[in-house]
Amino acid sequence: MTGRKLTDGQFAWLLMVPGLALFAAIIAYPLVSALVTGFFEQSLVRPGRSFVGLANYGDLLGGDFWPVLRNTLVFTLGATIAPFVIGYALALALNSGLPGWLRGLFLFPWVIPGVVVSFLWLWIFNANYGVLNGLLGTHVSWLGEPGTAMLAVIVTKTWASFPWMMVMLLAGLQTMPKELHEAASVDGAGAIRRFRSVTVPHMRAIAGIAFLLEFIWNFQHFDTIYVLTGGGPAGATKTFAVAVYDTAFKGFDLGHATALGGLWMLLLLVLMAFYLRKENA
Amino acid sequence: MTATLTRPVALPEAPRRRRPRSRAAAWAAVAVIGFFGLAPIYWLVVTAFTPDDQAFSFPPALFPTEITFDHFTRLADNEQLFGYLVNSVVVSVVTAVLSVLVSAYMAYAFSKFRYRGRRSLMHLVLASQLFPQALLLVTLYAVFSATGLLGSYGALILSFTTFTLPLCVWMLKGIFDTVPSTLMEAAAIDGASRWRTLHTIALPLAAPGLVAAGLFAFVRAWNDFVFALTLTDPDRQTLPPGLVHTYLGEFQTAWPDLMAASFVVSLPVIAAFMFLQRYLVGGLTAGAVKG
Repeated sequence: MTGRKLTDGQFAWLLMVPGLALFAAIIAYPLVSALVTGFFEQSLVRPGRSFVGLANYGDLLGGDFWPVLRNTLVFTLGATIAPFVIGYALALALNSGLPGWLRGLFLFPWVIPGVVVSFLWLWIFNANYGVLNGLLGTHVSWLGEPGTAMLAVIVTKTWASFPWMMVMLLAGLQTMPKELHEAASVDGAGAIRRFRSVTVPHMRAIAGIAFLLEFIWNFQHFDTIYVLTGGGPAGATKTFAVAVYDTAFKGFDLGHATALGGLWMLLLLVLMAFYLRKENA
Repeated sequence: MTATLTRPVALPEAPRRRRPRSRAAAWAAVAVIGFFGLAPIYWLVVTAFTPDDQAFSFPPALFPTEITFDHFTRLADNEQLFGYLVNSVVVSVVTAVLSVLVSAYMAYAFSKFRYRGRRSLMHLVLASQLFPQALLLVTLYAVFSATGLLGSYGALILSFTTFTLPLCVWMLKGIFDTVPSTLMEAAAIDGASRWRTLHTIALPLAAPGLVAAGLFAFVRAWNDFVFALTLTDPDRQTLPPGLVHTYLGEFQTAWPDLMAASFVVSLPVIAAFMFLQRYLVGGLTAGAVKG
């Protein structure tokens, strides 16, 4: 066959053609096109566009950008720190000799489809019949009040992602040699001291990657927020993903949507640089 | 000698003394997190089987006295939902097959050959899963609109396949790495072409990994909401946006019906993950499953 005549490198590139073509068509081109579109005034539904330079960016930085940035940061920090803490606690507990089937049980929240997660918590948070209000004896509209909506969204996302943290951190804990802990406890170190001086340093690398990845994902998370609140009430949960989506598909304003996306990308690139450095280290 | 002798004697005692207390703490943590983690699942299942009049009472009955299958039979009778189900199956299955094909070739190239640009490409593939999909969606909409793919299955399948590639490629690269290169060299000496070696030796040996990668891709396509919501015609929509249209648009939401539907939509995914358990950690640490 023809395989013989190619060099190894040529053969390898040939194997990668379908994959690279998909990356180019579905990720690279749309991404570049989005960054270019940010400098134009363009509608999603009407053809034609006109160059406006930095005007879209100017509009955004003069207003809309800041509340969206704030919401994104609040959501991302909350929905990363909470699953991290819960997942870490659970991983430590499961690593101290509890039966293995427990791990599988805790995967359920993470395994079920994201949109089902949103439906379920919409029902739990329901103002009139919700089980949360039932337990508390209240009729709070958790997702309908600007003061509680963000918290409710973070709780939901935390529920969906703590199992992933648990699995990652448990994998790290299981690579820790038992002798380290035994030696430390022979030397008289208590549980807290051993956690601080043995576990934490051993876990630094994997915990760092898990935290950073979750942070990056949350920074661009869409589904839960969109189904639970649609970015409301009064924009209280409007993050970059929701704002870009709404500007494009509800406001049909492609120019401002992609300009906002450009600012969003800029922030993400910083995070990704951190991630790739950690991954390589 | 005496020093080394006293140590083994003292050692078993220390763990024995601390074990009951740390065990209790571990169980306590599991119990608290278990309530947070599992009570909502319980509530989903219970609501799906609770008669409407009990589900819409306040405060809700935590242990319903009556069980009904009405919500499930209503689901089965709903032709519109059946259409969404068919769309989900078509899109997810084709995505899975296509992802495995494309990512297996790519992973093989990454694993078994050394060439210029390999490492940077591998990092680029890994990093591509971190780009914001909501932003891609905006311009992909325009791309698909211009190519006439907008509204078709193709738009979804091409998107999902691409988004699963990073994970599948990294997963399969790990699997091909465990296939000894000596097998391929032996085949080459016997006169087999590179294609033949790939298809008759490497791919069969990686079969369990290919299945796992396919299941991950299936789950990714099955679960997606925002692309399916935006890039398809209403009659080509998959279950996640389909359920939103069916249940959340109305004035009063039929919660027990929606919970029954949620239950059914989750089943294939749960089944897939039970099968995937042992690939989970490796797959996860290589990158992402759910973004």
